Amino acid sequence: MPLLECRALSRRFGGLVAVDAVDLAVEPGEVRAVIGPNGAGKSTLFNVITGVLPPSDGEIYFAGERITALPVHRVIQKGVARTFQLTHLFPALTARENVRIAAQARYAARWRPLAGGALFAATTAAADAALDLVRLSDVADVKAGLLSHGSQRLLEVAMALAQRPRLLLLDEPTQGLSVEETDQAVGILRGMLGAGGLTVILVEHDMEVVFRLADKITVLHRGRVIADGAPDAVKANAEVQSAYLGGLE
Amino acid sequence: MNFASFLFAQSLNALSQAAVLFFIACGLTLIFGIMRIVNFAHGALFMLGAYVGYSVAVSTGSFWLALIAAPLATGALGAAFERTFLARLYLRQDAGAYLMVTFGLAIILGEAIRLAWGAAPLGVAIPDRLRGIVTVGNQPFPIYRVFLIAAGALAALALWQFLERTRAGLLVRAVAQNAEMVHALGTDVRTVRTAVFAFGCAMAALGGVLSAPLVTAFLGMGSNVIIDAFVIVIIGGMGSFAGSIVGSLLVAFVQVFGAYYFEDLALALMYLLMLAVLIVRPGGMLGKEE
Amino acid sequence: MQRVALAAVVLALCVAAPFASPFTLTLLTEALIFGLFAMSLDLMVGYTRLYSFGHAAAYGLGAYATALTLLHFQLPLPLGILAGVALAIIVAVPIAWVCTKSTGVSFAMLTLAFAQLGYAMLYRFKDVTGGSDGVGGIPRPPGPFGLDFFQGKVGYFYLVIFCLAGSYLLCRMLVASPFGAVLAGIRENDAKMRALGYNTRAYKWAVVVVAYGFGALAGALYTAFAGFVAPELFFWLVSGRVLIMVIVGGAGTLIGPIIGGAFFLILEHQLSEVIEFWPLIFGAVFIAFVMLAPEGIWGLVRKFARAKPARSDAEAPRAAT
Repeated sequence: MPLLECRALSRRFGGLVAVDAVDLAVEPGEVRAVIGPNGAGKSTLFNVITGVLPPSDGEIYFAGERITALPVHRVIQKGVARTFQLTHLFPALTARENVRIAAQARYAARWRPLAGGALFAATTAAADAALDLVRLSDVADVKAGLLSHGSQRLLEVAMALAQRPRLLLLDEPTQGLSVEETDQAVGILRGMLGAGGLTVILVEHDMEVVFRLADKITVLHRGRVIADGAPDAVKANAEVQSAYLGGLE
Repeated sequence: MNFASFLFAQSLNALSQAAVLFFIACGLTLIFGIMRIVNFAHGALFMLGAYVGYSVAVSTGSFWLALIAAPLATGALGAAFERTFLARLYLRQDAGAYLMVTFGLAIILGEAIRLAWGAAPLGVAIPDRLRGIVTVGNQPFPIYRVFLIAAGALAALALWQFLERTRAGLLVRAVAQNAEMVHALGTDVRTVRTAVFAFGCAMAALGGVLSAPLVTAFLGMGSNVIIDAFVIVIIGGMGSFAGSIVGSLLVAFVQVFGAYYFEDLALALMYLLMLAVLIVRPGGMLGKEE
Repeated sequence: MQRVALAAVVLALCVAAPFASPFTLTLLTEALIFGLFAMSLDLMVGYTRLYSFGHAAAYGLGAYATALTLLHFQLPLPLGILAGVALAIIVAVPIAWVCTKSTGVSFAMLTLAFAQLGYAMLYRFKDVTGGSDGVGGIPRPPGPFGLDFFQGKVGYFYLVIFCLAGSYLLCRMLVASPFGAVLAGIRENDAKMRALGYNTRAYKWAVVVVAYGFGALAGALYTAFAGFVAPELFFWLVSGRVLIMVIVGGAGTLIGPIIGGAFFLILEHQLSEVIEFWPLIFGAVFIAFVMLAPEGIWGLVRKFARAKPARSDAEAPRAAT
């Protein structure tokens, strides 16, 4: 059974159709890249899947359960984590505090009004582990707003990991990163994926990153799925090539 | 007096009240729509207009001069305040700071007015040409109230045309949508914002001068009216010009007829109305969602 | 270190109380009540960035509810206060639910609307509430087991300082708890918190109810202190004043608003007779703080005390940057 399934998912903004009858099925453990020219509807798709925007049509299923009309926080609680295209952090809190609050979300005791000793110990440990994974341990005490752009992107990934999700949605994780930073990020992501147990949907513009990480690729153009399959097949697809105006980068 | 005449007479009353409310509300909603600032001092500026109008009317003997001078003076004060304080808060991206600075201004203005003009209410005479009663339908109706309705309607029309038909109006609406883009296109957004704020203050002051002959200039008229203004703008939608018209009419009618039928509940009625609208549509009836 | 200093101050006040003049005691008691009121608002404004222009409603609810329990039911003083606070909290639950439906400006307007509604309701139900005359002659019934310690000025001062200290400790614990960490997140980035899976609306609802609870306690203490209540307690100028106290004192510090609130109340009492244009100064000082020192007095104190730049304090950050 697919972990995430979208059936005829659509989202309209007035006259503009941002997502057009998208069918998507992602199997557990898979790494799926969603690519497409600018304005193809990729971020909107993420927003609809996570419940930030309600769909105009269609259904979404997570592990067989219908999540179509759920508010954001309920979808996330089912085991989904997401990063954003524009870095979305707590700038006045330190890197560790950022990840801790992300980790805390998974605990039933997260709302306790008193005596958080045990919970804080657990979340601090989880935060340190996640920071270690993305190699940000040495800036754990620096305020997130002061970190470099590349470190902030990695911090977001750490926060997503700390939520121990079943499904991870990465929205252009390497955007704005230098070549070295991108390389480092891909290495980190490869390491995470190697550990298993994680399903990833990745929106990316950088084709090299896509080919290094993805098991399957879905191509969106003007909100519609125009190709869906193994990387080599998609690469050779004529329609995909024309959508990108003269071949893939 | 049969029911139809009663309805008619009270409706005319409500219309004249709506006119005054409109002057205040349109300024408030424009300031919010274009600058994202909730101007807590709006009621105090209304009051300032009334008092300045009184002084001008008394010293020059001309109510008409007061109608021009008070808004100009208040507008200038507003422009100065915006330049000195509000413009500096723009970068902070903190809506709360605006709320609080304008609240501080409201307190200062209230006290300054008390010190300058004293605690006693000050009467402003209705100019001769507008005195007297006219018969509308077969009801007696003060000419001054007709004047108010006309003034309100004229102002609404003029403002609407300005916003929809002129280049300057287009600029103002553009800044409301996307200030950065307008700035990138070469317009001095800062000047637009100062102008809009000054205009909003001037409109409030105009409302104050216009209402002074009816209610006198008195301390506390600011506090009374600011709540009304907020209710109107929230019902009509924060930032919606059309909403400020609709809201003013709605609130005025509720106030006039509410005072008649539900005397004790009159005060509460408006808040219940505001609550109902905010619960059903958090962005107000015609306004932008937050 | 800070804890020791605070404890020392409290102890000093308690020891000095029996020797202070009745006038000083009265002033100090009222100042501490106001400090408690300001601290309650800090939970919303400083820790969750929920600006309320209607916190007078919490105060007024506590005050009137306690007036009822003390006057009509003659409950022993401490019980009467607790009952009043409980009643106020019950009313606060639906109010908070409605207010937290919105954010930002709409939220502020809703809180204001409820406070004004309360004000209007007091006039409407004159027979129960006494209308514009308010309710007077509120007693301090002897406590359980015939305890009449709180009937005297010194005794009541001890009651107030005990309530303030206790409330402060509870709030400190709350802010340092997992719940407090969530509030900090909501303050910094509400949308991100939702994207992390937190039901931020529920947390905001909870913090508003808690803030109303402590605000109601202040109102309750005021009732028995003053012996009468009037509709003015609900008026929006009261809400504005306490909001100013929180900002000037130092939002997000708990201590700042207590000290700021107490200090300004004393200043107001002393100066408003001497300086005729006190509100003018008040307003100007407020604007100055918002423009130049938004972290408030106590925020500034902390800023200079903490020399390490990279550290942040999730418990008590600056108010508006």
